[in-house]
Amino acid sequence: MRRIFMIASHEAECWLTHDGSRFVLNMPDGAVPCQLDPTGAPGAHVLRTGGRAHELRLAVGSESTFIHLNGRTFEVGRVDPDDRLAGRQGAAGGDRLLAPMPGVVVSVAVKPGDTVTEGQPLLVIESMKLETTLTAPRDGVVAEMPFTAGDSFGLKAVLAQLTPQEE
Amino acid sequence: MTISKLLVANRGEIAARVLRTAKARGLATAVLRHVAEQDGPAHLIADEVVMIDGPTPVAAYLDIPQIVAAARKIGADAVHPGYGFLSENAGFVAALEEAGVTFVGPTSETIDLMGDKVRARAFVEARGFPVAPSAIEDDDPASFVERARTLGYPLLIKPSAGGGGKGMRIVREDSTLETEIATARREGERYFGDGRLFVERYIERPRHIEVQVMGDGQGNVVHFWERECSIQRRFQKIIEETPSPALSPEQRDEICETAARIARAVNYRGAGTVEFIYAQDGAFYFLEMNTRLQVEHPVTEMVTGFDLVAEQLRIAAGEGLSAAQADIPQTGHSIELRICAEDATADFRPAIGDILLLDEPHGEGIRVDSGIRDGGKVTTDFDPMLSKLIVHGADRAQAIARARNAVQNYVILGVTTNTGYLDAILAHPDFASGDVSTGFLAEQADVLTAPGEDVSTLLMAAAALSDQRLVTDVMQIPEMHRKMGGWRN
Repeated sequence: MRRIFMIASHEAECWLTHDGSRFVLNMPDGAVPCQLDPTGAPGAHVLRTGGRAHELRLAVGSESTFIHLNGRTFEVGRVDPDDRLAGRQGAAGGDRLLAPMPGVVVSVAVKPGDTVTEGQPLLVIESMKLETTLTAPRDGVVAEMPFTAGDSFGLKAVLAQLTPQEE
Repeated sequence: MTISKLLVANRGEIAARVLRTAKARGLATAVLRHVAEQDGPAHLIADEVVMIDGPTPVAAYLDIPQIVAAARKIGADAVHPGYGFLSENAGFVAALEEAGVTFVGPTSETIDLMGDKVRARAFVEARGFPVAPSAIEDDDPASFVERARTLGYPLLIKPSAGGGGKGMRIVREDSTLETEIATARREGERYFGDGRLFVERYIERPRHIEVQVMGDGQGNVVHFWERECSIQRRFQKIIEETPSPALSPEQRDEICETAARIARAVNYRGAGTVEFIYAQDGAFYFLEMNTRLQVEHPVTEMVTGFDLVAEQLRIAAGEGLSAAQADIPQTGHSIELRICAEDATADFRPAIGDILLLDEPHGEGIRVDSGIRDGGKVTTDFDPMLSKLIVHGADRAQAIARARNAVQNYVILGVTTNTGYLDAILAHPDFASGDVSTGFLAEQADVLTAPGEDVSTLLMAAAALSDQRLVTDVMQIPEMHRKMGGWRN
C-alpha cells in the first residue's frame, strides 16, 4: 500500500507491505523490516527497524502524525494519494494565496484587474497579534480579492486569486 | 485591609500560577472564563469560575465594566490582573477603586505615568537616570522626522503607548524612515489606540537586562536582582535567565540599585520591573518600567526563594514587604523557556491544533507553569505562549544542561511548538558563553533552524504503522500478494 508523507516540507513516498511475518517499509532507496509496539504509557511505543529499537511517543491527528523521538518532535503530514492524482494542490497553487492560518484582514493593497509583479504586497493580515504582508507568488493580473479590511477568515481561505496564467 | 476572596482577571498559565499562591495563603479564589473557552488548568484550581462574554475572547478579558461587575457579584474583595490584558490599565484600577475592590498592583497614577513611555522617560531623565538619545513626536510633531534624522542611524521607532515589541521598527537607512514611521503609527493605533511615536538611537548589539523591584507604597523598595532577556524573536522574549552572564558584581549592584531608586522616586507599590538596554561597552539606559508581574518572574523566584505573588498579596493587604534588601539572596542560576505554539522554521508563524498528548517534564530543579491540558485546543484567540519551563541549577552550566534535558522531554503532540528551536538555542556555543545580544536569534537564524539528524525513515515507519487504515488494508491483501511485496525487495 502506497503512502506519501510530508516531513519538514519535503514529500517522501513509501509502500507498506507484509511478508507474512512482519511489516516491510519499502522506499525508493531500499526496504526496511519494521515493527511498532505500544509500551503502556500514553502514546509510548517501541519502533524496531533493521535490528535497532527506538523509543518514541506518538499521536495520530486528523491530517498529521506527531512523533516525539530522540528529544525532538516531528510532524509527519499524511498526503492522500487521491488528492495528489487529482492535482488539486499542484495546478491551482500558483494562482491562489491561501490563508496560512485563521486571522483578520488589516488592509488590501490591490483590486481585481490590477497587474502585479512577483513579490508585490497584495494584502496585510493579522493572526494572533502578528501582522504579515502577503505578496504575489508570480507576475500576473488580480482576478479576485474576496476580503476587505476588518474581515475574518479561516484556515486555507482564498485571500487572493490571480487570473490563470496563459500557456 | 484584609483580603479574603481574590478574583484573577486573567487566563492560562499565569492565572493558574496566581491561584496556587492565593489558595496556599488561604484565600477563596475565582477566575474568569470566556464562554467559548475550554477548561484550562486555572479553572480546575479556582474555587469559582465566572463566565464572561464579548465579541471576541480577548475583548471579554479587556471589558472593564463586565469584570468589575463579576468581582462585585461574587463578592471578591481583591482582583489580581496577572500580566497583559488589564494589568497596566489605569482605568481598570480606578473602576475597581470606585467599586471598593482592591487592585493587586500599583496606584492608577503610577500606571498612568509609567504606561506612557514618553512621560516615563522624561520623569526618569529629569531625576538624573540614564536614557538613550531620543526624539519625541509630541514635543513638536512638525519637526519630528527631522529631529529623528539628526539623532543618526540606526534608529528605533516605538509607539508612545506601546509594549511587547508591537509597532517597533529598526531603521538603518534614511530612505525607509518615513514608510517605517507610517507602519509603526498604524500598528500603534491598532494595538494601543494611540498612533503617537518616539524615536531613539538604536544601541547596536544591545542586551536586555531588567530588575525586579517590589515596593510597599510607603517609601520602602527592595530589588530582587536582575534578569537577562536578550533572547528575543520579533522583540518578544523567549528565554530569560538570572543572573545575567554579562554583569560583573559591581555592575550588578549598580543596575539593581538604579532600578530601586527609580521605583522609590515614584513611591512604588507592588511588583514592578525596570527594564534597561545594556550596551556592549557596559553603559545602560532606562528603557521602561512595567507596573505588573512579568511573564519571566519565576526565574527570580528560583534564585531568591521568594514567592513574588505572595509578596504582591501581602502588599495589597497592607502587610508590607516580608524582607529587607539584605535578606534577598541570589543563589544558583535559573533559566526560563517560553513554550509557544509556533513554527520557528516559518518565521514563527503561530500554530493551531488539538493537544493530542501532553507529558510535561518534572524532576529536581524543574518547574513548569503550564496553561494547557491534555485534550485542549490551541486556537488563534489568544497569545501563542502555552507554558513556561523553568529550571534551576547550582551554576549556569548546570542550569543549561537541565533546561536542555527538560525541554527535550517536554512532549506536546498535536500542535507545532518551539521546543526543538529552544533546545537549538541552548545548544549554541554563543549562548553557552553568554555572548548574545537582542539580535542573536536573527543573526543565527540559519544555524538555529537547521535540520538535525535525518530520521525520516523512522518517522515514515512510525507514521505508516500507526495508520490503522493502512495497516488493516495491508493485512487484508490476500496472503500471496502480501508476500509478493516482500519478495520484490
